[in-house]
Amino acid sequence: MTFKKKRASSTAGIPTSSLADIVFMLLLFFMVTTTLREVDVLVKFKLPEAKAIEKIENKRLVSYVWVGTDGRIQVNDSLTKLEEIQKIMYAKRTALPNIIISLRIDKGSDMGIVTDIQQELRKASCLRINYSAMIKI
Amino acid sequence: MVHIKKKKRPDPEIPTSSMADISFLLLLFFLVSTVIDVDTGIGMTLPEFIPADQQTTVPISKERLAALLINENGDVLLNNEVIAIPQISKTLKPRIESKIELPANKKLVVSVKTDRKTNYNLYIQALDQVKLAYFEVREEYAQRRYGKRTIDFNEKSEEIKDIREKIPITISIAEPEKIKS
Repeated sequence: MTFKKKRASSTAGIPTSSLADIVFMLLLFFMVTTTLREVDVLVKFKLPEAKAIEKIENKRLVSYVWVGTDGRIQVNDSLTKLEEIQKIMYAKRTALPNIIISLRIDKGSDMGIVTDIQQELRKASCLRINYSAMIKI
Repeated sequence: MVHIKKKKRPDPEIPTSSMADISFLLLLFFLVSTVIDVDTGIGMTLPEFIPADQQTTVPISKERLAALLINENGDVLLNNEVIAIPQISKTLKPRIESKIELPANKKLVVSVKTDRKTNYNLYIQALDQVKLAYFEVREEYAQRRYGKRTIDFNEKSEEIKDIREKIPITISIAEPEKIKS
């Protein structure tokens, strides 16, 4: 008489079918939480609204200048003095000849500061500008 | 002895095959609904910088000039007449339209001038109106001439070149007056 060894009827195994779903969930989590590389904006500003606006297709060409409610100016990652804009922008333009300067200026600002920035940009020969504005519905 | 056979219960299972589909749906939903924020704004080209001693003045006939003045109180003058900002585009449109067939040196020039104390938002609103007038004229011209909307043209097509040549957007940003108490 031979004895049959008792074996568990079910086979042991890790269920792998849900692995893909876990990965998907992770992917989704990162998709939702990721923001595309953005500069820390140090000034507070509210953009004006306009109807006849254009989109800038080529984001690579865009460089920003922020002007906050308190009149502080930010270029790149740091606050800048008005006189320094020319130097920074000239360097940028030599690296990228058809650069577009997007002016993100608070809607409560005076035209004085806008003109001063524009004069600096003209001196740096950065002539393509864009007054950033929201779409008015 | 009678052996009573126990009925074997099937293993409890959660159907996992549709899980992948659900996550696919989620993925698609987020893919479709995500907006990578696009920069929008009013595009302009600044004039070249010329030092004050080398500047020359070119006379422009009254016929082709639309002078827009915005003072610090928010009053707007168009060719020396008080105007409300939302009226600007309506007033400019016929003037732009009348010059479609004229040569390039006879087209309308819009000059926008502000004070140093003028509110930036007002300036943008006024500029927006000017742009709107130009865009509407371009749109109507495209409809009349080609029966298409301007966005349907290829960026490099002859038609769009023609439209831009016939209706060029010439906006001059005058420097604000320096001396202002």
